[in-house]
Amino acid sequence: MRSPVMTAFSVDLSSKGHSLVTENGRHPEPVRDSLQQEALSHIDSLYRTAVRMTRNPVDAEDLVQETYLRAFRSIDRFTPGTNLRAWLFKIMTNAFINEYRKRTRQPRNTSLDDVEEYYVYSHLIDSGFQPESRGPEEEVLAGITDDNVVVALESLSDEFRQVVLLADVEGFAYREIADILDIPIGTVMSRLHRARRRLQRMLVGSYVDVRHAGEASHG
Amino acid sequence: MGDCRETLDKLYEYLDRELSDEELVEVQQHLDDCPPCRDRFHFEQNVLRAVRRCCRDVSAPPSLVEKVRKICSQ
Repeated sequence: MRSPVMTAFSVDLSSKGHSLVTENGRHPEPVRDSLQQEALSHIDSLYRTAVRMTRNPVDAEDLVQETYLRAFRSIDRFTPGTNLRAWLFKIMTNAFINEYRKRTRQPRNTSLDDVEEYYVYSHLIDSGFQPESRGPEEEVLAGITDDNVVVALESLSDEFRQVVLLADVEGFAYREIADILDIPIGTVMSRLHRARRRLQRMLVGSYVDVRHAGEASHG
Repeated sequence: MGDCRETLDKLYEYLDRELSDEELVEVQQHLDDCPPCRDRFHFEQNVLRAVRRCCRDVSAPPSLVEKVRKICSQ
């Protein structure tokens, strides 16, 4: 198990955060400074997620700036000692949904069920893939270039792309993703499961198709 | 030792290190004894690694870092 996660990003400063807050509701300057420095250390992580979410480096920069603006503005509502990185991702996710999507008016692909899903691996085995020899697996994996991954990721719906980025790229635990996206943990798991199968089909499915095509033309 | 179906159901939770210690031992035991499942898990893990490798190879541009530092010092 990953270590338990503090789920309160929190506005509740009445208990443990109390001693860290001055009378005007602000963190003392040294606490603010250290939180801001720590927040800055997550900029690469936020930026690479923003690039994949917006599909565009210029929009990604805007989204990251907006995220830090919001974060610094509400830094006094963050409870020191809880998960700052997850808190920043939550702010960015909300900014993406509320601002970016409204502004760009990009059609949001909300359909999660429009493609037949299957386990690519079973089809690989059916098509003559022999994992024990190691050769074909390397062949399949070597065929997954960075460009393929980007195209496959960017073709996923926002909902699927988000969970893959948070889990597979940023390494957040299910509980943290549930908090960031404000969805139940069961939804995180099922969404992640389906997103990965779809991604795999796009990344590896072409190998199966090529094999089938080859067999058909020779058969 | 659990069967292949039960193990497969826990594939992603295993790879994501989300299983309890007890479940982890069960899955690990099955994988030790079942080469097809082991190959399957290995394959899935490698695809996930390919995704991670590709996406992590991106850093914030220096100009953005500078802008955010300014926001921070305001």
